[in-house]
Amino acid sequence: MNRNQLDTFLRKHHQEAFLWARQCCGFDGELAKDVIQQVYLKVLEGKARMKTEAHPKTWLFSVIRFTAIDELRRKGKWQEVEIEEDMAWETEPEESDSHESLIRRLPKMQQEVLLMVFYHDMTLEEAAQVLQLHIGTVRTHYDRGKKKLKEWIETRKTFEV
Amino acid sequence: MPSVRHMNINKDPELKTFFQELRKQDEQLIIPPFPEVEKKSRSIWWIPAGIAATLLLGAFFLPLEKSAEPTAPEVLIITLEEGPNQELQFHIQETNEMDIWESPTASLLTEY
Repeated sequence: MNRNQLDTFLRKHHQEAFLWARQCCGFDGELAKDVIQQVYLKVLEGKARMKTEAHPKTWLFSVIRFTAIDELRRKGKWQEVEIEEDMAWETEPEESDSHESLIRRLPKMQQEVLLMVFYHDMTLEEAAQVLQLHIGTVRTHYDRGKKKLKEWIETRKTFEV
Repeated sequence: MPSVRHMNINKDPELKTFFQELRKQDEQLIIPPFPEVEKKSRSIWWIPAGIAATLLLGAFFLPLEKSAEPTAPEVLIITLEEGPNQELQFHIQETNEMDIWESPTASLLTEY
């Protein structure tokens, strides 16, 4: 893809890219804005290059994810995310927990796999490409995340009754 | 790759609904406009142009530099010498440095 094609591609996927960046940044919209800006610069200046043009969306998602991780680490927020997960995993959800806070209770990998599959309509193979992990590992994250999230949704429902 | 798309994922209907609701909530989010990334010109035409301009300016200004003016003589050497008819004549010599002057009696000092 030349620069103009890349520009068109990024514009086409801008909304989805921003939403994914926000999800990778622990649902922090402000941080996601910085991340997406950096991603576009990397792509348009050729610092992030597509190896094959077969899966441009998974490549873009991968660049966004790694840029978000770098940004979270740079701002000292990466550990916060991990500690939060460990604490949340053990406790039961509350009635006031939103959809986002339920997802944030999951370990980061499980969050990302579930969001890619259910929210962004990607396959497990595509998710594996984004995460640069083996498909078997991704499937494990998917199954565990699905099971736990379902449990929490059920628990939250009991408050509504 | 069609095989990728056809991989069987057991999408739990409850989770599907959960994520659909999340998507619905996200419709309320304000998506920032596509950032206009400033296009960096990849052409390097300005490098030779810059060198040429520098050379032109150099050529223009160098000849205008004032050439070093000869410095005014700072030393006057006045000697009194005897002419052919045994009259005394003054010889005045202008110079910037003293080392060209030699005392007329210097030979006496060395011979002595």
